Amino acid sequence: MANYGMALDYKNCINCKACEVACKEENGVQLGADKHRIWVGVKDIEGLWPNLSISSSTFEPSQCQQCENAPCQEVCPTQATHYTKDGVVMVDADKCILCSYCMEACPYDARYVKEDTMTIDKCTFCSDTRLLRGETTTACQATCPTKVRTFGDLDDPNSEISILLAHREYKTLKAHLGTKPKLFYLI
Amino acid sequence: MFVLAQKGMQFVEKFIPMRHTDIRELFKFEKTPLNILVAFTTFVFLILFVIGATNYFIHGHHAYGVTREHPWGLMIAMYIFFVVSSTGLCIMSAIGHVFEVKVLEPFAKRAIHGALVTLLSGFVVIFLEIGHPFRMMIYNTISPGLTSAIWGMGVLYSLYLIFIVIEFFFLLRHDHKWAKRFGIFGLVVGVAAHSNLGAVFGFLVARPVANGIYYPLYFILSAMVTGCYLIFLMYGFKYKLNFPPEMQKTLVATAKILGLLLAILLFFEIWRMLTAIYGGMYDRSTTALHILKSAPFLVGEILLGILIPFFVILFSNGKAIKTLVFTSFTGMIGIFFMRYDLVHDTQLFPMQMLKTREYQLPPSFIEYTPSMNEIFIALGAIGIAITLYYIGDKILYLETDPD
Repeated sequence: MANYGMALDYKNCINCKACEVACKEENGVQLGADKHRIWVGVKDIEGLWPNLSISSSTFEPSQCQQCENAPCQEVCPTQATHYTKDGVVMVDADKCILCSYCMEACPYDARYVKEDTMTIDKCTFCSDTRLLRGETTTACQATCPTKVRTFGDLDDPNSEISILLAHREYKTLKAHLGTKPKLFYLI
Repeated sequence: MFVLAQKGMQFVEKFIPMRHTDIRELFKFEKTPLNILVAFTTFVFLILFVIGATNYFIHGHHAYGVTREHPWGLMIAMYIFFVVSSTGLCIMSAIGHVFEVKVLEPFAKRAIHGALVTLLSGFVVIFLEIGHPFRMMIYNTISPGLTSAIWGMGVLYSLYLIFIVIEFFFLLRHDHKWAKRFGIFGLVVGVAAHSNLGAVFGFLVARPVANGIYYPLYFILSAMVTGCYLIFLMYGFKYKLNFPPEMQKTLVATAKILGLLLAILLFFEIWRMLTAIYGGMYDRSTTALHILKSAPFLVGEILLGILIPFFVILFSNGKAIKTLVFTSFTGMIGIFFMRYDLVHDTQLFPMQMLKTREYQLPPSFIEYTPSMNEIFIALGAIGIAITLYYIGDKILYLETDPD
């Protein structure tokens, strides 16, 4: 049993969107702007031309935060959304009734409707694809040219992610909501 | 099918007294302009329902205007609109025949009939909103998500339906002892179910404008207001505004209760807005200010839903019951906006504040426009409610017995 999490050295992100493409390819995510498991958020440049603050524009790669205290799991009426033994929040498509309550409850807009099954879909840390095949990285991590992402077992003190989190400062998104996200943004 | 329905009605008559068992009687009504207008409108609504539902069965949620950022739309608002009406009528009925407030007893049966009709109409709407309704019935039972407000609501509303059917059955058989017992069960479960529906929104920690205790309480209060409006509408239509003296007493008493409820509702709305804006918590206060400046809130919820009926009651001391029939109609439009707004306003503030694709403007308040199919189904559901109400009114004895 593991406790999977991900650290993001987000200041290294160059917004190439290779992660989005790799995720769609690996996990069979449909095409279309609204159909995405992961995304890169872009903060606009501040100021008025010619006094633009170039450094104010930042990229924030994001996806399901794999919360330890996931609101989407709490609100699911059929337990379709559940935790795996590795601490990953997953959706059982056979149980999903498409009430969309989890989409309402997710503070990160990380869920969308998968058209072929007409159920809710989200990032699974590639649990049902790459990890199932015995690989140790997620598709977004493997493809990233600037090594933004580090995926691993938070309970293993010797894992790369644990060492990284022990030595770097980090933040989590919307921490005040008490969702305990397992995506850590390295500062 | 016609013969089968006929046989069914004759079978039911063995258990409950009925006015007509001949199904042809259903199509006969007094041809006044108002009756013809209502019949025509209902017929059009039913056709629209068939069109909307057919498009939904063909295209699924693509037939609706919902999006990733705004997954709940007009269907959820209409579902709430109907089940709120049901709970309100059940509570108003219970005040008379369960708590034995004599002056309110005359509408007990008719109110429960209305509660049943609106609940069934609500179920029709939610059936066309949930992506997999049959899967829901199976997995709600064998894999219940006990922490989910939707699960609690589903179970409680199912129980509520059973209790009010039994209560109605005994009311029609003039068995007041058992009707009262099941009336108590129906009331308790109905209030629990309905506050649970409020909790569906109240539990959303991600949506500060909805999160908290407000909605579970507000739902019960506004349900009672809706119940009063519907009682005025049902009796205004039945008596064509020429109320017999007994009914006048009942409606004046109902108007006074309605006046008090509206005052409390206004009080609720004021403090809801003040607490949301005060302190300037960004997402909550900006959303509240946005709501406060919107026409559906000001004109729909406040003016039509609360102020106009309230001032009619205030200035007439509750005696202008004929005017109140008309303000109940506009009041129901206001109530619709209350339901629509609570669904839309909850989703107003975007969860994703950064741009996620090229040529996109930075996210601001989420916009939503119902599709024609959603509007068709919503109107159709009103048509279904009117049809079911008419059938019940035609074949059952809905007036409370003189004893």
